[in-house]
Amino acid sequence: MVMKENGSSRESGSVSRTIAADFAERIAAERAKNRIIGLGPLIVMIVLAIVMSVFVPGFFTWINLTSILQQISTPLVLAMGLTFVLLLGSIDLSVEGVMGFAGSIVALLVLNTKNSVDLGVLGMLIAVLAGTVFGVFSGILHTRLKIPSFMVTFGMGSAITGFGILSYRGIPASIKAPMFARLASGTLAGLPLLTWFAMVVFLIAFIVERYTAFGRHVYAIGENESMARASGIDADRIKVAVFAWSAFCASVAGIFGAIKLNIGEVIISNGFLFSTITAVVVGGTSLVGGSGGVVQSLVGVLIVTIIQDSMIMLGVNAYVQPAVQSIIIVAAVALTVSRGRKTIFK
Amino acid sequence: MEDVLFRTRDICKEYPGTVALRGIDLEVRRGEIVGLVGENGAGKSTLLRIISCVEQPTSGSMEMRGEQFRGRNLLDANKKGVGMVFQEQSLMKNLSVAQNIYLGRERGFRRLGIVDWRRMNATGAKVLDSLGLKDISPAGKVLELDFATRQMVEIAKVLDIVGDSEEGCLILLDEPTSVLNDSEIRKLFEKIRIIARQSNSVIFVSHRLSEVIDISDRIYVFKDGRQTALLDKKDANEDVLYEKMVGRSTSGEYFKVGSQTEPGDDVVLEVRKLGLKGFFKDVNFRLRKKEVLGICGVVGSGKEEVCSVLCGDDRPDEGQIILDGEERRFSDPSDALKSGVLSVPKERREEGIIGGMSVAENISLSSMDAISRHRIISGRARMDRANDWIRKLNIKTPGPKESVATLSGGNAQKVVFARAIAGRNKVLILNHPTRGVDVGAKEEIYQLIREITEKGMSIVLLGDTLDETISLSSRIIVMKDGFVVAEMESPKDDKPSQFDIVRYMM
Repeated sequence: MVMKENGSSRESGSVSRTIAADFAERIAAERAKNRIIGLGPLIVMIVLAIVMSVFVPGFFTWINLTSILQQISTPLVLAMGLTFVLLLGSIDLSVEGVMGFAGSIVALLVLNTKNSVDLGVLGMLIAVLAGTVFGVFSGILHTRLKIPSFMVTFGMGSAITGFGILSYRGIPASIKAPMFARLASGTLAGLPLLTWFAMVVFLIAFIVERYTAFGRHVYAIGENESMARASGIDADRIKVAVFAWSAFCASVAGIFGAIKLNIGEVIISNGFLFSTITAVVVGGTSLVGGSGGVVQSLVGVLIVTIIQDSMIMLGVNAYVQPAVQSIIIVAAVALTVSRGRKTIFK
Repeated sequence: MEDVLFRTRDICKEYPGTVALRGIDLEVRRGEIVGLVGENGAGKSTLLRIISCVEQPTSGSMEMRGEQFRGRNLLDANKKGVGMVFQEQSLMKNLSVAQNIYLGRERGFRRLGIVDWRRMNATGAKVLDSLGLKDISPAGKVLELDFATRQMVEIAKVLDIVGDSEEGCLILLDEPTSVLNDSEIRKLFEKIRIIARQSNSVIFVSHRLSEVIDISDRIYVFKDGRQTALLDKKDANEDVLYEKMVGRSTSGEYFKVGSQTEPGDDVVLEVRKLGLKGFFKDVNFRLRKKEVLGICGVVGSGKEEVCSVLCGDDRPDEGQIILDGEERRFSDPSDALKSGVLSVPKERREEGIIGGMSVAENISLSSMDAISRHRIISGRARMDRANDWIRKLNIKTPGPKESVATLSGGNAQKVVFARAIAGRNKVLILNHPTRGVDVGAKEEIYQLIREITEKGMSIVLLGDTLDETISLSSRIIVMKDGFVVAEMESPKDDKPSQFDIVRYMM
């Protein structure tokens, strides 16, 4: 037996140091990336605002500023719901359906052209509650039957859109309730009322995210669900609650839509899903879960709204606008997603 | 009688086809640090999973604090005073240190649903303090901490979860030192001793024997799922442990040692100064024609990564791979395959075969050119070849059209071999070729390896057991902590002993 020993200068310590150094390197890279993702969107927003102010005539005016703040009300409310869903690492594709549904039935529950019901504020509450119930369903189907969230919510969204159309049987109701007109045009301290309502939803979302165990648990599940479960967190219950919250937000957005357009029709929600997901992701909430938050989403909503607003002011073709949005979301995801050589994407 | 905190009685664990543990009687006294050592697959990790209730034993019982101990999951174990620090860390990087410590246990800090973070941080600071971790800020995010500090936090967390120090708790540490440097290890050991002084007990598992001897009061040695020795610290030295860890050698006939091929002189594959950051470094070896080169090493020694670099799955950070005198850089496994290097991976079901496809399709997967004309596959050529191989390798299948998924482990492995040989490759990389294969099929695979080398192929082998690697290889290199620490010939008439090799491995 011939034996050769390669003992010289190869203390095991030296490699454990390189492994340790490797870890340090990896952690530093992770931190750096996190800082970029944390600050990047804010910088982008500021740069965008400055650039648009310089190049788009009429952008930097009080009227346009309030117009932007008026425009963010609906996407901000939707984003507050979606942010939590994305933090879990799930997705909710039913927001448009829920929004259209809630907007449709609220029109039938307040003073309107189609029936004699006139429940006023109670009608709004019922509509929001009905929409929220669908979120609970989605959550239960997702967790109990272990169906991927995209599939459950996709199906749920189509079904609810159908229910929405059925509720007014093809001919949507126009709203005659005077309260709606007041809400649509009312302002407080110079800002539209709907924007204030959206801010309230934002504040609730912020408190839940930062100051409750629930909020932390959402982050924990997004980061590592099995460890979260091993720590005694009831992940299923939290997921159901998050989908319910998302549906609640979508329902509120539906009421907003009905208020703005004075009509109860499912198409009031068209296009909001994509722009909201764009906003949340651009803000820095990862599609794989665990990082981001509602403040980031507020920034994201502002970025997307500024871009949309500027495109309109610049007279960009309406059919080109969604394409620009698509490029933005793909770019945002490409910049933030982590890639491994052996990772297989499907 | 000594003050026993935890005890197992005749613990056995069976998996379909294998027995992972049998007759384990472990005893942990209060305030004691118990070391567990053994080769890969000796059953240490399985035992830890059973003690932490992540898995259930097939038979046997456990006792904690003098009472029957049993649980359905980790949480149950925690409630009864048993906590586990996992090898791969379980902290949530996106949360703060205190939020991690109290994850799932925020109840005490809540008022009207709002958590009082300041109070949680203050309490968390006390927890960290008790382990002398004053410099860790409980409000800081885990992401901002280095790896060693994260581990300390994890230990503090586990200790706090199970900590009922009057009764004493049991902390399980699975390979806690594998990515720590020397000074970090010293710090970790300090903390472990603090834990033990607070009348808690620790079970410590590591591949590094010197560390185990250093930290443990008593050491259990495991081999093939049995405990083979129990040593007091004063009686333990590395040589004794090595001796107790290695198994008896199986007869050479079983491994067909008699027909071991004499390697030729020409070098087929040469590796120079090969390195992959953080996994291995400065690896040199030559693989000659008809040679079986075995690589030995514990988990984390870098041997798996060497294989994945050789077959193009990972790109090396430094060094050269020279195939037939030409330097190569494989961009991916298919590139390596084109150059004649085929890998038979460990996770056969996931990586080696395509379960939904038929036996015939799998066999010809890596040699499509041979059965196709102008890129159109000839069904008949494929069937003919498949039938050929089924006969040659004695693959037990109803026919070539049968789905591979229905085959037994051994037969599926033979299909993989058929695919490899059919492709007329120069170098085969066999990663645990007999894992999950029954005894009879194992012997056939051994025979096959001899035939393959006789035909002129060369093999790089990671064996399932040390015994297997020694018996099949004509030369052996031993890796430890990312370096090649020894290289030895293993001719058929003068095989090195397992002891010789384990000495270098640990």
